[in-house]
Amino acid sequence: MDIIEVSIVGVGAFLAICMFTTLYGKSNPLYALAEESYIGFGTGLTIVINLLFIYKTGILGIQAGDWLLSFGIILGIMVLARIVPKYSYIARVPIAIAIGAQFGLALRTEIFTGFLDQIRSTIFPLLTGDAMTLLNRWTIALSVIFMLSFFFYTTELKGPLRWSARIGEYAMYVAFGGIFAQTFMGRLSLFVGFMQNYTVPPWKIPYLLGSLIIVFAAVIILDRAKLLEKLTPEE
Amino acid sequence: MTEQKTEKRSIYRMLVEYDRRIIYLFIFVLILAPLMQPFSLPIQVSPGTMTYYNVLNGLKKDDVVLVVFDTEFSGYMEIQSGILASIKMMFEHEVKVAIAVAHPEATGIPQLVFDQLKGVMDQHHYIYGQNYINLGYIFPNSASVASTAQDFHSIVRQDAYGRSIEGTFLDNVNTWKDWTLISVYTTGIQSGSIINHYGLRGTPIIVNCIGVMISTQQPYLSSGIYKALLESMRGGAELEYLTSSPGPGLTAMNSFTLGHYMLIIAIILGNIGYFGYRSEMSRKAKEER
Amino acid sequence: MSSFFKSKTVQLTIMILSFLAVFVPYFIDVPAMTTFSTELITIAAIVSAFTLLLALYSQFRRGYTFIQKRKRGWMFKAYMMISIVLMLVFALFGQETGPYNWVMYAIITPLSSVNYSILVFYMASTGARAFRARNTRALLLLITGFIVLFYQAPLTGAFFPQITPVALYFTGTFVAAVAKMFLISVTVGAIVFGMRVLMGKEPTILGFTKEEAS
Repeated sequence: MDIIEVSIVGVGAFLAICMFTTLYGKSNPLYALAEESYIGFGTGLTIVINLLFIYKTGILGIQAGDWLLSFGIILGIMVLARIVPKYSYIARVPIAIAIGAQFGLALRTEIFTGFLDQIRSTIFPLLTGDAMTLLNRWTIALSVIFMLSFFFYTTELKGPLRWSARIGEYAMYVAFGGIFAQTFMGRLSLFVGFMQNYTVPPWKIPYLLGSLIIVFAAVIILDRAKLLEKLTPEE
Repeated sequence: MTEQKTEKRSIYRMLVEYDRRIIYLFIFVLILAPLMQPFSLPIQVSPGTMTYYNVLNGLKKDDVVLVVFDTEFSGYMEIQSGILASIKMMFEHEVKVAIAVAHPEATGIPQLVFDQLKGVMDQHHYIYGQNYINLGYIFPNSASVASTAQDFHSIVRQDAYGRSIEGTFLDNVNTWKDWTLISVYTTGIQSGSIINHYGLRGTPIIVNCIGVMISTQQPYLSSGIYKALLESMRGGAELEYLTSSPGPGLTAMNSFTLGHYMLIIAIILGNIGYFGYRSEMSRKAKEER
Repeated sequence: MSSFFKSKTVQLTIMILSFLAVFVPYFIDVPAMTTFSTELITIAAIVSAFTLLLALYSQFRRGYTFIQKRKRGWMFKAYMMISIVLMLVFALFGQETGPYNWVMYAIITPLSSVNYSILVFYMASTGARAFRARNTRALLLLITGFIVLFYQAPLTGAFFPQITPVALYFTGTFVAAVAKMFLISVTVGAIVFGMRVLMGKEPTILGFTKEEAS
C-alpha cells in the first residue's frame, strides 16, 4: 500500500463521512464541503467525458471520411447559443432534429417493448404450463386487469367495475409491500457496498473510524458553540 | 409559584416519539460490525439466479459478449458482487469481452474489475485487443445506443485509451446480430435503450440490476426480452455461491441480514407503540370524562 | 435569417422530417434510407452530447451569482467553480494515471457511493415511524413487506425455507403485475405525448414561449 492509495482512502473516507453529517439533522459546513466537491468535480468529469465522446465520434468520424458528421458538430455548437438569451432561438433547429430523432427511436420500439409485448406475455400463456406456473400466470393476468380498472376514470365505477377496482386496489397494496422490501434491499445494498469499500482490506478501517470520530465531533462542537449556521452556506 | 407536573413518558410514547438518530446509529453499527469480523452464512439460491448462471454457463469459447456498465459508481457498490462473479465466469469460458460504459462515473469501473480478476485473466491468457477490450464511454444517450446497434463502427473507432479498434476482435462486429450476448449492469440509465435497440431485435440480454429496479425490470423478463435477471447484491452473493468464488457479496450477507431484521423489529415496535399509545390516550380521555 | 429559426412551422417541419427519417426505415428496408437514418441518429447523439456541456455554463452562472452577492458561504461556490476548472486541467495530463485518476477515486467515487446510500437511513426511519397497520390496505402492505423482507435476509432461508415460495409468489405475481400495469400505462402516455409534440400542440418542448407559440 503506497502513499497514493493511502491518500485516496483517507480523503475519500473523510469526504464520505462529511456527507453523512446530513443525518445529524442540521446543515453544516462539512456537508457543504462534500456537496460542492461532488458537484464541482462531478461536473468537470461529465464535461471531460462528453468532450471525449464528441471528439471520438464526431471529429474522428470526419477524419475517417464521414463528412456528414460535420453537421453534428455544427448543430452541436448551435445548441450552445442557448447561453446567450438574445440568440437562444438559434438552438431550436438542432433541438428539433435531436427531439425528432429521439421520438423516432422511442416510438418505433416502445410500442412493442412497453405495450404489445407486455399484453402478449400477459394474455397468451394462460393455458400452458404446470399447476404452479398456471397459478402465477393467472394471478398476473387478473391482477393487471383489476389494477388497470382501478385507474379507469372515464365512467363512474359501478357494479362489477367497482368490485374489480376494489380488488385491484388491494392487489396493488400487496405489491407495494413487496416493492418497499425490494427498494429497502437496494438501498441497504448500496450502503453495505460503500462500507465494504472502507473495511476491506482491514487497513482501511482506522481511516473510516478516525474520519467518523473527527467529523462528528467537529459537527457536535460547532453545534454546541452555535457556529453551525454561521459557517454553513446559504441555500 | 406554578406547580410543575412532570409527566412520566410511558413506554408506548417512547416507542412513538424517539429521536430518529437512534435508528441511524443502529443501522451504522449493525452494518459495520459484521464487516469487521466477517463470517459465512448459508444462502439459498433463487430460481432467477439459477437461470442467470445457466445462461453464462452456456457461453462457448470465442463467443462475443458486450458488457455494459450502465451505472453510477454508487450502483457499482451494490452490484459489484454480480459484476465480478459474472465476468469471472465469462473469462473462465474464454469468451471475447468488450466493455462499454454509459455514465461518466463508470469510466473507472473497468480497471477495478481487471485489477480484481487479474489472476483469472492471466490463467486463461487474456490479451488486450485479442480477447478483451475497454471501449469506454460510448453510450451517453439513446441515440448512441441505436447507432451502435445499426452500425457499430459509426460511433466506435477508438477504445477508452485512445487506441484504434482496428485489428481487434471487434472487426467482426458490425450490428446487433454480431453479439452473442449483452450483459448489462444497470441502475436504469440506458437499459431502456438497450432493450429497444438490441433486445427487441433478438440479441440475448442478461441484466444485473439494483434492488430499486427489480420490479420495473420484471416485465421485460416475462416478455422474453431478458433471458435472465440477477437481483441486486443478494443475487450477486448467490452467484458467488454457485460459482464457488466468495467475494464482496457473500461477505456482505451478514450485514444484509441484520439490516433487514432491524427494519422489521423497528416497524413492529413502532406499531406496538402506536396502538399502545392510542389506547392509552383513549383510556385517559374516558377517565377524564 | 432569424425568422427561419423563430418560425414554429419550420421547426415543427424539421422535427417531423427528422422523426420520419428515423421511424420509417425501421419498418421499410431500403439500404439508402437505413444508412441515412444511421447517420442522422449519430448526429443526434453528438448534438445530445453537446447539450450536456450546457451544464458547465449553468454551474458557473449559479456560482458567479452567489459570489457576486457575497452570500454566506460564497467561498464554497468559489471552491466548486475552481474544482470544475481543475478537473478540466487534470484531464490534459491523462486519465489513466495522475491527478485526474486520483480525483476520480478519492473524491468522485466515494461521494457518489454515499449519495444514494444515505437513503437507507431515511427509509428505515420513515418505515419505523410511518408504517402503521391502521386499515386493511396498510395491513396487507405490511404483511407482504415483512414476508419479502424476511425472505431477502439470507439467514431466514436457513431455518425457515418455507418462506421462499411464498415470497417468490408475491414478487413474481403481484409486483410483476403492478410493474406491467405501470409500464403499459406509461407507454401509452408517452406515445400520446409524442404524438402531441409532433402535431405541434406542445411547442414549449422546442423552446417556444407561450406568446411565441400562440
